Amino acid sequence: MAAEADDEADSESALFTYGVPFVGVLLVAVGIAAAVPGAYALIQEDLTPCGAPSIAVESPEETDRRFGDAPPPTVDRLDFAALAPAEQAAFEAALDDPIGEAHVEGAFPNAETFRDGTLVTYEGEHYYATVVAENPCFQAAPLQFPLGVFAIALGIVGILTPPAYRRLVALETGLE
Amino acid sequence: MNRALVEASALGLLAVSCLLLWVRLRRAAGPQSDGGYPTRERLRFELDHLRRQLARWLTTTDHREVGILYIVFGTVAGLWGGVDAMMLRTELLTPPTDIWSPETYNALFTTHGITMLIFFVLPVFYGVGNYFLPLLLGADDMAFPRVNALGFWLLPPALLLARAGLFVQVGGQLLSPVFPQETIRFFLTLREVSVGWTLYAPLSVQSVNPQIDLLLIGLHLSGVATTLGAINFIVTIVYERAEDVTWANLDIFSWNMLVTSGLVLFAFPLLGSAILMLLLDRNFGTTFFAVEGGGPILWQHLFWFWGHPEVYILFLPATGLLSTILPKFVGRRLFGYKFIVYSTLGLGILSFAVWAHHMFTTGIDPGIRASFMANSIVIAIPSAIKVFNWLTTMWDGDIRTTAPLILAAGSIGTFIVGGVTGVFLAVIPVDILYHGTYYVVGHFHLIVVGIIPFMMIAASYYWYPLLTGRWYDRRLAQFQSVLLIFGSTVTFTTLLIIGGLGLPRRQAVYPPEYQFASQIATVGAYVIGLAALLWLYNMVASYWQGDPVRTTDPWNLKATGQFTREWQWFEGRMVEKYDVTPAEPETVRPAYDPEGEPSGLLGGVGTVAQTVSRNAWMAAVGGFVGTVLMSGGLGTAILIGVLDPASFGEIAELVGLPASPLLGTLLFLIGGTVTWPLVFLAFQEYLPGRLLFETGLVFATLISTGFVVAFYTGQAGLALIGYVGFVVVAHWAYGLGLSVTFQYLRRRQRAKRGRGGG
Repeated sequence: MAAEADDEADSESALFTYGVPFVGVLLVAVGIAAAVPGAYALIQEDLTPCGAPSIAVESPEETDRRFGDAPPPTVDRLDFAALAPAEQAAFEAALDDPIGEAHVEGAFPNAETFRDGTLVTYEGEHYYATVVAENPCFQAAPLQFPLGVFAIALGIVGILTPPAYRRLVALETGLE
Repeated sequence: MNRALVEASALGLLAVSCLLLWVRLRRAAGPQSDGGYPTRERLRFELDHLRRQLARWLTTTDHREVGILYIVFGTVAGLWGGVDAMMLRTELLTPPTDIWSPETYNALFTTHGITMLIFFVLPVFYGVGNYFLPLLLGADDMAFPRVNALGFWLLPPALLLARAGLFVQVGGQLLSPVFPQETIRFFLTLREVSVGWTLYAPLSVQSVNPQIDLLLIGLHLSGVATTLGAINFIVTIVYERAEDVTWANLDIFSWNMLVTSGLVLFAFPLLGSAILMLLLDRNFGTTFFAVEGGGPILWQHLFWFWGHPEVYILFLPATGLLSTILPKFVGRRLFGYKFIVYSTLGLGILSFAVWAHHMFTTGIDPGIRASFMANSIVIAIPSAIKVFNWLTTMWDGDIRTTAPLILAAGSIGTFIVGGVTGVFLAVIPVDILYHGTYYVVGHFHLIVVGIIPFMMIAASYYWYPLLTGRWYDRRLAQFQSVLLIFGSTVTFTTLLIIGGLGLPRRQAVYPPEYQFASQIATVGAYVIGLAALLWLYNMVASYWQGDPVRTTDPWNLKATGQFTREWQWFEGRMVEKYDVTPAEPETVRPAYDPEGEPSGLLGGVGTVAQTVSRNAWMAAVGGFVGTVLMSGGLGTAILIGVLDPASFGEIAELVGLPASPLLGTLLFLIGGTVTWPLVFLAFQEYLPGRLLFETGLVFATLISTGFVVAFYTGQAGLALIGYVGFVVVAHWAYGLGLSVTFQYLRRRQRAKRGRGGG
């Protein structure tokens, strides 16, 4: 049984049985790498707050634990009232968030200070706040998605070549 | 992008696709309907059947069925961990974190590691062990069938606890448009763990995510399950063997499962204790891993005391499968069985003495570090013994390029690269440089991917006829095997290279100059993913559509005397169920010939001195004939002006004589008559070529490269082509002259000896 199948396999074209599908798999893999991010680039702004960095705000207790009694002078101080509206909204959202994070959606004039880590004075208490993720928007070339899809489609044709090849051989042999 | 929804959707799509394929193929395989419609009785029958099957699979204690449950569970976990891997490689297509967020990326590499190491590998090997160990040992079942089933059923809840964050997160996202945030606060709080699979303190203690607690409970549960299974394997192997199965002829897979189970017994209870200590630190204010208590480094010691043996717990069953499967497809008995067993035992013991090499960068005592470095280098020896024995098993074998063989051979290759790169990492200064880079990721993935899933898939192909009574698509299997090896090699050698260049691991953001290499690694990872899907398709589709096995010896193992116990059991079942006549091979030869004369030219009759002198003069005659023949080619080259005779003078200079072309030519003749023939004698067994003249040609081609370099005198263009051409052809003449004369003299000598003896 095994020997029969091996003989059958030996009589077939290695190019169409193994070579073409191999190239097909490579095309599909490259196509996925192009098409998935390419598609994401087209729809990301509808799905995610990209371009809106995430800030994390630590509670006054955690802040005390971090710095002890005297925070180092290298850490900038900001007053909550001096923050831009988007910064204020994000700060308050982070306080409500179970893990203490929120996106800054809008103008972020104190971005550099937040990136370095800052102590925000809010209702008389100090909160350590810092940017934890930039969330940049993904940039992709306009052709990336269509070419990726084309590569996947062509690759699938390549992967399906062996059965198609066998059918064509059977057809041609039958015609003779 | 929303990771939780994407991952849950990908897993759902995979599950639904498998289910649809299964149902469709099952329908197609059943009797065709005559156009009627399903009756109520028919539906009730289907439901009853489903209920019976469900009850059977939920309550079974049969070792083969529990084995299949383990394998299916491990496969599901493997696919889940694989989806994690695909997602994290997708993030690494671009240098910034613009597809997932950094936290998501951290969660992906954490869950990928935990799922693959804890819930994928060992369950699959336990499944293979459950199914085949009793068959290989001649036992009726595992020693404790109910404990066996219990051990398995602890695993699904353990996996769900460990990965609950994903479902809770998705639940929270689906509920949030309907319910106020306060009501569903729990769902919004829990998320996948993102502190790294090693759960290093103090991050794992201080991180507020409650999912860490669930993960720890899940890991603890899986540890209990693993320990129960290990006890069962040990008792089964020690007490349930058939009378004729002794320690000396115990099959190599059982040996590996025995040692693996021993390691589990010593390693997993310790992990359980460490996990409980971490849980207490997180929830009850203990200070085991706090700076003011035991210290965060204590966690690393405890973790890696389990973690390094765990590497061998995962690796040894794979080597057992390799040692089992490889000989069947090369027609030779496993070379050095005893030494493979000793190396397995050696690895088992040494694996507990190397844990601190994971901690060279932590600043532990330099004296301790040095001893762990020595141990870590020493552990390469038993691994190398295995590789040597696999290669010698294959050497000059009757190789059948089936899918299992392709995977076994590929495993040896990737394991060598993964292993050798590990020896470098064992050296403290090298480790300090590369510890935090992708070099480490490339190194260990070449082992954990390059041998473990390779051998799982090889085993699935090898035993599929026995498991299902059907054949899978063998062309697709060969193709899939090559694809898997190709994808793994591309991905993980790329990681080795970029790690060697200094790219840090565990970072979602990386410098743009590494983008192209990272994209190559990602495409390679997608190829691995596609290969895994092709394997899954082949397994599922062939269950219903594969050609039925019509012989009791599907791999023609009887021909080489390797029809092992599990196949004997299969034969018995085929005869009993289908009244099939037991297969008889056309020809039979032993896979091992202890009485055979050594094939090496240095072997023969008489003392060593007699053998050496006899071979030396035969070699000298062969070398002389070869050199004379070669002179024709080189002489022609000198005549047409592509070889400068003055270059022979340099040989004389090399041995301190005047630079005379005549002296040089004389030395060249002596070398061709004495030195090179002896080198040929020493190495001919290790050169490719079945017949001696083929080996002679290979040898001549190899040494011609040295000649080309040594006698080159600045030829260019056509003169260079002519020079190389004449040199190579002249060396072929030498190789043929040497080997054919040698073979002729040897045959004459044997004939003379035969006449003398007769």
